Amino acid sequence: MVDAVLLILREVLEAALILSLLLALSFKLQLQFRWSLVALGAGIIGSWLLAHYAYEIAAAMEGTGQELLNAALYTIVILSLITLGLLFVPLVFKTPQVFTAEENNPAGIDKALASNSHHPLMYYLFIVIVSFSLAREASEIWIYLSAFANKPDYLSSALVGSAIGAGIGLSLGAITYFVFAFMPKKIFLPIFLAVITLLAGGLSLQVAKQLMQIGWLDSGAPLWDSAFLVDEHSWVGELLYALLGYDARPTPVQGAFYLLTIAPILLASLWHAWGVHLTSSSKHP
Amino acid sequence: MKRIINRAAYIGLLLCAFAQAETPTFTIEIRDHLFYPAQLVIPANTKVKLVVINRDPTPEEFESYELNREKVIMGGAQAIIFIGPLPPGDFPFFGEFNPKTAQGMIRVEN
Repeated sequence: MVDAVLLILREVLEAALILSLLLALSFKLQLQFRWSLVALGAGIIGSWLLAHYAYEIAAAMEGTGQELLNAALYTIVILSLITLGLLFVPLVFKTPQVFTAEENNPAGIDKALASNSHHPLMYYLFIVIVSFSLAREASEIWIYLSAFANKPDYLSSALVGSAIGAGIGLSLGAITYFVFAFMPKKIFLPIFLAVITLLAGGLSLQVAKQLMQIGWLDSGAPLWDSAFLVDEHSWVGELLYALLGYDARPTPVQGAFYLLTIAPILLASLWHAWGVHLTSSSKHP
Repeated sequence: MKRIINRAAYIGLLLCAFAQAETPTFTIEIRDHLFYPAQLVIPANTKVKLVVINRDPTPEEFESYELNREKVIMGGAQAIIFIGPLPPGDFPFFGEFNPKTAQGMIRVEN
């Protein structure tokens, strides 16, 4: 049963944290929460389909189907996160004029948020990010439980373990939601932007890992080994893995993927920060 | 033009076959939620192809933090996992669906 608790928790954690983060964002932007039901439904159906066709997927493309499909699912989530981040960069780096306008008119920040956040893309991005993450992660749960289908004694124990694991995962998600939902607005946006940038970077490590596993990319010696600091087996390691894709021994290829992934949001941020700096210096010569 | 493409494809195929032949292959079997052999010795600084055959009717996940690999292998199916080049040392792996029994180790030697 303990095995089931740990396995389910590990699979559920990442999707639960991503869902909580985006729900907190919806709360801050006064968006509807209905998208989350669509995302959960699509994610669960998707996960079942992935598990149901697991044989066919694994055998496809000369035995590389599982990795290629995972890499594709990760990539779609990464691109969605980058798009979401780019929509938020202009809000995080506002010109001083906007800031003073907001100080005079506290509703201003809501208005500024609303103008960008009611972008029609927003809901689609939320749904894609959550449902694709959930489908990939949860498919392993179905596969795991299928092993117990003909063993009723073990099945009940595995199901109880699964329920406990899912419960812990959802609780951690709920904590994440409240931490972010009750964060002051001024710090929420920069922190949110930083978290989704790191999240996208972490997922890119997984894409590289999938391609190394099928021999398309060469592993090479790890850039560093931080297992002595934070072991991936440990609780902190697992949590960091779920949220930031923590890898104690990243390879050079993974490093390159990471930098390439965080580059768009980083460059856009620098560009906007520079723009703000220019307008403020031209105002006060 | 067509001939050039054909010839290029032929050379490409040959190169692929050559590259495949270059990669040493090792086989691990899963039986009753155990890995056979439980310890596998592979050469250092060499890319290696692992063929993991699951003889059990139930699925298993080959997982290793040290090797940075994870792959679900359905019951009765087999999977190919590339690892390395690795420095000499011990790299444990386990079956995530049966972590108590399914334990193994890749020993990398010069």
